[in-house]
Amino acid sequence: MPIVLPGRRPAKRFESSKVLGGKLQHGRKSVNAELNVVPMVDMMTMLVIFLLMQFSATGEILYMQKDIKLPDAQHGQTIEMAPVVAISATQIVVSGQKVAEVADVEKGEDFSVPGLEERLRDEKKRWDFIHQNDPDREKNWKGDVNIQADQKVPFRILKRVMYTAGQAGYFNVNFATLDQSNVAAVPKPD
Amino acid sequence: MAGGGAPVPESGGKGGKKKRPLDAVINVVPAIDLLACTISFLLFTAVWTQISRLQVQTGGAGGPAALDEKRQIQVTVTLADRGMTLATSAGASLEIPALGKGPDGQPLQDLKTLAQKLKQLKTEYPDQASVTVAAEDGILYVDLVRVIDTAVGAGLPAVSVTAAG
Repeated sequence: MPIVLPGRRPAKRFESSKVLGGKLQHGRKSVNAELNVVPMVDMMTMLVIFLLMQFSATGEILYMQKDIKLPDAQHGQTIEMAPVVAISATQIVVSGQKVAEVADVEKGEDFSVPGLEERLRDEKKRWDFIHQNDPDREKNWKGDVNIQADQKVPFRILKRVMYTAGQAGYFNVNFATLDQSNVAAVPKPD
Repeated sequence: MAGGGAPVPESGGKGGKKKRPLDAVINVVPAIDLLACTISFLLFTAVWTQISRLQVQTGGAGGPAALDEKRQIQVTVTLADRGMTLATSAGASLEIPALGKGPDGQPLQDLKTLAQKLKQLKTEYPDQASVTVAAEDGILYVDLVRVIDTAVGAGLPAVSVTAAG
């Protein structure tokens, strides 16, 4: 890529001419230079290839939250679009909307979590509405729900959430984990 | 391409007929523009945290339906603070005690032994695909996930989770 001094300069067809080429500078040293852009293009191509390999067409279904630290798993599957129940140490959130406090769920005698059940039923109604013209609607209903819980959440909370999801028609529970399948393939140095 | 080094002389020897120059300058600016746009787009849409899922079914719904069809048994892993118990409907029962307490005071489950036993069971019953994980109330999500991950890794992908006791 040429870098040239702004201003008058001979036309391209005169550049090689001994008579007309370069005579507009009046004896001054030329400041025109050639910039080698080949390494930059190489680097950008490498970057594009790397980013394309990282690219995920499904996008981010779960958003990492500060108060939720996910456990690792090596044999997980690709996450799919489904309602997300996020359980932190303090609250239960469904698709970004708080439905219950963990302390209340722990104290409550009822096994079901009313706010959560209501919200999940709404999600199911929405799904039914979207698929109202589908004749195989009942068959296509998979009942998937993603549970994004913090590592330290005890099972007594988890089982109530799972029970409530089941009450609302969501029987296939997906536990969200950090994918460590690639990490496991690399042997640890001794 | 511009900047690609010194031009190759195109004229022949002395007195030869002057040929038309063969050197060409390829304008790489559009290519750089395109690459820059692609990099910006990919950087904006990049997903850095790879999240996966471990599919489970609630209330032991995974196994019984398939039991009659194939040569399978009911396998239950009971997860408790003191350790794990691997029990089968064939009558076998195995205690896998916890390795001790972790730095946070939580029990360290012996997942290596569990994986070994589940793989052994899988070789005995190749059609076996289901396992039930029964957890006690105090078990943490991280321990439950590790046990499910171990079961899936041992070739038992149909995991159902239920409460112990």
